[in-house]
Amino acid sequence: MAVKTAQLFFLSDLTPPSLERTWLTAPHPTLPIVATCSSDKTVRVYSLTNFKLLSTISGGHKRSVRTCAWKPHIQGESVLATGSFDATVGIWRRWDSYGQEEGGMGDLAIGSDNGDTLQNEPNNDEEEEEWRFAVLLDGHDSEVKSVSWSPSGMLLATCSRDKSIWIWEDLDDGDNNFETVAVMQEHSADVKCVSWHPVEECLASASYDDTIRLWREDVDDWGQVACLKGHEGTVWFLDWEGVDNIPRIPAGGDESSFTTQWKRQRALSGPRLISCSDDRTVRVWRRQPMEPKPESGDTTMPSIIRPTGTEEKWEEESVLPKAHDLSIYAVAWSKRTGLIATVGADGRIAIFEEQFAPTYSTPDESNTNNTLRTEYINVVTMEGAHGIYEINHVQWAKRADRGREEGKEEEVLVTTADDGSIKVWTIAW
Amino acid sequence: MAEMQNSNPTILNAADLPTRLRPAATGKPGAYGSGIFTQSLSNASDFFSTSPLSSSESESEDDLMEEPIDEQEIYDLISTISDPEHPISLGELAVVSLPDIAIRPSLPNVPSSPLQTVTVLITPTITHCSLATVIGLGVRVRLEQSLPPRFRVDVRIKEGTHSTADEVNKQLADKERVAAALENGTLMGVIAKMMETCQ
Repeated sequence: MAVKTAQLFFLSDLTPPSLERTWLTAPHPTLPIVATCSSDKTVRVYSLTNFKLLSTISGGHKRSVRTCAWKPHIQGESVLATGSFDATVGIWRRWDSYGQEEGGMGDLAIGSDNGDTLQNEPNNDEEEEEWRFAVLLDGHDSEVKSVSWSPSGMLLATCSRDKSIWIWEDLDDGDNNFETVAVMQEHSADVKCVSWHPVEECLASASYDDTIRLWREDVDDWGQVACLKGHEGTVWFLDWEGVDNIPRIPAGGDESSFTTQWKRQRALSGPRLISCSDDRTVRVWRRQPMEPKPESGDTTMPSIIRPTGTEEKWEEESVLPKAHDLSIYAVAWSKRTGLIATVGADGRIAIFEEQFAPTYSTPDESNTNNTLRTEYINVVTMEGAHGIYEINHVQWAKRADRGREEGKEEEVLVTTADDGSIKVWTIAW
Repeated sequence: MAEMQNSNPTILNAADLPTRLRPAATGKPGAYGSGIFTQSLSNASDFFSTSPLSSSESESEDDLMEEPIDEQEIYDLISTISDPEHPISLGELAVVSLPDIAIRPSLPNVPSSPLQTVTVLITPTITHCSLATVIGLGVRVRLEQSLPPRFRVDVRIKEGTHSTADEVNKQLADKERVAAALENGTLMGVIAKMMETCQ
């Protein structure tokens, strides 16, 4: 079977870069902008339309900004949470004039392509003033490593070298009040990453203790529901599969029968979790199908007494083909295309595509036990993507520059490196 | 530091420590402006050179070309670091030694890659020395600050020489922890003191 291969094309740098290490770049959930965290204690906001710096958020953190995340589902305003080595989490707000201006900025960008570069400058200075420092969340004892908003935007999870995970509720009371909902301390070492399930209020965490843990709220208490063991080194990063992801159907395969069976197979286990580690592996984890919820009218046990089933069984479904020789720092599972990107200390970008294993070219719909198997193909690897520098983070984002094809939703890859550079890539088949 | 962990360490004679053959009278540190690595070689070339052209011109050529870096140069960089407990160098205490330094390609399967990994195995003076992490961090910081960025630094406790070697190794290999340590004033104060004896 012919293996489809892809090519990665360099599109642009985000300029000007930080002069110090950059750790992570978070694309805005709706606007064509990204936020990049730097060791110089600032966060830079860049446009994905013209790849230029829009504003620099500074003055809030006393040490490196390690992580940041945009709050989803808010209208008219952008809210950014930042986590720093100074042990605090900052909340920043800005009215979305970006939203309206962005179209205008795009037009300006055309002007600047023609050598007319001055137009952007005065604008930028004004905009710098507009990031409002809202509140500092204090609680962690040491460096904050990762922050993540729940899919509703109601909850913010933060984690630290102090081994704890905090869940904060954004009270949205107009007064920037956050309430501590839970503090979980089960990890036995630094918690490196927290990441919310794409639709459920289920949090995944990755740690220096080599484990991944899953957390849910049970009645009133947040507690651990699973501890995933398998990695043989620090687990650096986590990401979730998109809710509607379907692996690539082999050429000649019957699309509707594959899709139907895949959806049935996945209905009870939900989106999978992917992890990358210092052990140079990338692993995919799947929840074992949960018991179907009893139909209404099922009166075997009143729901108030029925055990809530706090334990979940998660199993390691796959280990991706080896593509890295040094520590893997980040993994990103595209919610649009299902492609998986990984980066790490070896300076490589690797892209994987999941496809149905060829042995099941015709899924048998009559037999539900005949589970579909998939495999991951390393479709492209780019060596030295940031020259000699280590790559700390990778993320997919919606393409927004003028080079994109009209009317077609395209995707770019954004990589963030040790020398402060941030690069934008396109993928083509 | 409250109490010394090893009050009577074995000390090697400075004259027995490994060194590159070079003239006794070395140039002033920093006189060549092109970095630590050109020093020993450009000193040597100055000393042996008979051509009147060489001194200034070869220097500028040295600037353009990165000198190959070998184990001895790594040793020279880290052996002069002082032990945090004693005013004695890591070389004299045999915490670092030339045979325990290796330079290898980081990505052996990618022959064109310029990345090289410097591995330094450190031998703590006593097997339960809690300062092993600080010493290792000092070695890692020294190398990261001195070497060009294409080098990956791998500092580890030599096998069988420390009771909690795995723990120390994991910390020293963790980029994020090392980065955070560099922003920790107290810790960096200790490291800076250890490096006072470096050129």
